[in-house]
Amino acid sequence: MTALVLQAVVSGLLMGLIYALVAAGLSLIFGLMDVVNFAHGEMLMLSMFAVLALHGALHVDALLLLPVVALIMFGGGVAVYRLLIARALSVASNRGMVQIFVTFGLAIFLRGAAQFAFGGEFRSINDGWLSNRTVALGPVFLPLPQVAAGLVCLLAFAGLLALSRTEFGRALEATREDRDAVALIGIDRDRIFAFGWGIGAATVGVAGTMLSTFYYVSPSVGLNFAVIAYVTVALGGFGSMLGALAAGLLIGLVESLTALALEPSLKQVGMFAVYLLVLVSRPRGLFGKI
Amino acid sequence: MIQRRTLLGAALAAPALLAFGRAAAAAEDVPIGIVYPLSGNSAQIGADAHAAYDVTAEIINGRHDPLPMLMGQGGGLARLGGAKVRLVYADHANDPQKARAEAERLITQDKVVAIIGSFSSATAATISQVCERYEVPYISADNSSPSLSQRGLKWFFRTTPNDANFSQAMFAFYKDVGAKTGHPVKSVSLFYEDSIFGTDSSNIQRKLAADNGIAVAADIRYRANSPSLSAEAQRLRAAGADVLMPSSYVSDAILVMRAMNEVGYHPPAILAQAAGFQEQSFITGAGDLAEGVLSRSSYAGDAVKTRPAIIPVSALYRAKQNKGLNDNTARQVTALQVLADAIDRAGSAKPADIRDALTRTDVKGVDTIMPWTGVRFDATGQNTDGTPVIQQVHEGAYRTVWPAEVAVAEPVWTVGQ
Repeated sequence: MTALVLQAVVSGLLMGLIYALVAAGLSLIFGLMDVVNFAHGEMLMLSMFAVLALHGALHVDALLLLPVVALIMFGGGVAVYRLLIARALSVASNRGMVQIFVTFGLAIFLRGAAQFAFGGEFRSINDGWLSNRTVALGPVFLPLPQVAAGLVCLLAFAGLLALSRTEFGRALEATREDRDAVALIGIDRDRIFAFGWGIGAATVGVAGTMLSTFYYVSPSVGLNFAVIAYVTVALGGFGSMLGALAAGLLIGLVESLTALALEPSLKQVGMFAVYLLVLVSRPRGLFGKI
Repeated sequence: MIQRRTLLGAALAAPALLAFGRAAAAAEDVPIGIVYPLSGNSAQIGADAHAAYDVTAEIINGRHDPLPMLMGQGGGLARLGGAKVRLVYADHANDPQKARAEAERLITQDKVVAIIGSFSSATAATISQVCERYEVPYISADNSSPSLSQRGLKWFFRTTPNDANFSQAMFAFYKDVGAKTGHPVKSVSLFYEDSIFGTDSSNIQRKLAADNGIAVAADIRYRANSPSLSAEAQRLRAAGADVLMPSSYVSDAILVMRAMNEVGYHPPAILAQAAGFQEQSFITGAGDLAEGVLSRSSYAGDAVKTRPAIIPVSALYRAKQNKGLNDNTARQVTALQVLADAIDRAGSAKPADIRDALTRTDVKGVDTIMPWTGVRFDATGQNTDGTPVIQQVHEGAYRTVWPAEVAVAEPVWTVGQ
């Protein structure tokens, strides 16, 4: 029994790290400019297809593609901001509605485009260095692709925290706190926003790359993770990186333990129960400032 | 200006008149509705189904050398003056409400005389209700939930065996292979997704296990399309049954194979309720982990000796879709074939006449591409002659291992080893 619980804890935490990193990008963008990106799951899906395509063309292991995919996604994030979000934010009225419809429409478009371009098949990478490998640590089995994903997620979080200490990070923080005042001290708000979108998309690119080493890829794969990402962000507190990390781990753990203790079909119930509990007792989330 | 408009009108009207003349001379097309998930998570199923129905319509309508199957002579429906079947496609995106609306649209606007569908049992439930209300036959090509044919519907016809038939075959297989190898199945784990397909399938399997004196070591209902199935895999490992019996669609099928491997669990045997496990993406997605997996099937692509039509039909399909027929697409071909035969025998495109003809259907297995005894409907509309087979993955492809009449290899049996 203890072995079973131990395994559930380990599996839950490993999955939780992925949830956390997927949520980090979403949280970053939301905290920066109050925009909820409903196409976040689709960005995850696109990065997974990017890995699949590059892996197929270059025969390079997914782990080595990590920086390439992150860079592509960074460009994609900046492009989405410049082409869509900046315009949506410049409308005179109903700005909130417009930004919801823009990212929602983008999500549907991206899903359709992926199905058109890649087909609806479920694909997976089976010939990677770590594919389907496990090591046994006493009674606990550690799936290597997920352990690697967990480590990369922690590194990515360290990177995000380090970034917040830099000049750019401080500009980001300043823009978040008062987007109108920063213009007075010579910070180009538009550039900061574009960078924010780039970093957010690159983060989800890292998560997508690691996910593709052990999860299937299909045009609708983003949906499986998107809902959890929104819950993670709300649970951790909008805009808080540390909050996203803590909330991701908590959700992974609760999900895994509910599936073990109760009926597996109820595992999302456990997750949402925790969410509601936090919402009632601490409406701004675990680490929220706003 | 007026002149130009008149000229334009005449130019437009001339071909239309010509076309009308042609249509009056030849028999009118018979419109048939085809409702499948053409978008969403099961879009590939829909794309494959689209190709399967197109191929079948070409076989029925086209002029070509006769194929060794019912309706394989081509040239349209002979008793309707060579009328052609015309397929009208609709997308239900695996959403029962969308399926209901699309079925209604097909019947009221496109005036289809019958509907074929629909892959998932949840969508078939709503489509068949609409068909019942409008008195139009619904042909269930590939919906396997037993409860669908137990609702007292008069316009429901199911060519495929259902999950009760399939599960009975699975337990008959256990009995056979246990007697032959001396390693009978003592316990099974049921693992099923939380919609109508998984629930119905597990209900019948639970009952059959009790009837056959086989213990149910784990009974796990899981949420379809979960991001992770590792906790579920651990429960399966803790139960440690002789055979794992999953009822899953393809995404979860891939994921559970990986999740079990991740927690170090390799069940002695896996016998799947087809669905996701019969997909090519499962075999490529699960890779080496899929080796040795058993699945029920209604189609046996390797039974070419007794079903000669398999080779030409499969070749026509491959030309379109770049892969062979599978359990789903073969059943879709057969559904349209059986419906076309009924319309032809009815000699009429009226839904009521077609329904009458369907109730009198008596197709022999050798006239189809299926390993079945044949197609005959009972009072509930269920085909009583659809005898399933058991297949096993061997070097990345399924081969038929049971029953002995159509098997091409002995099953590799790892229980009790």
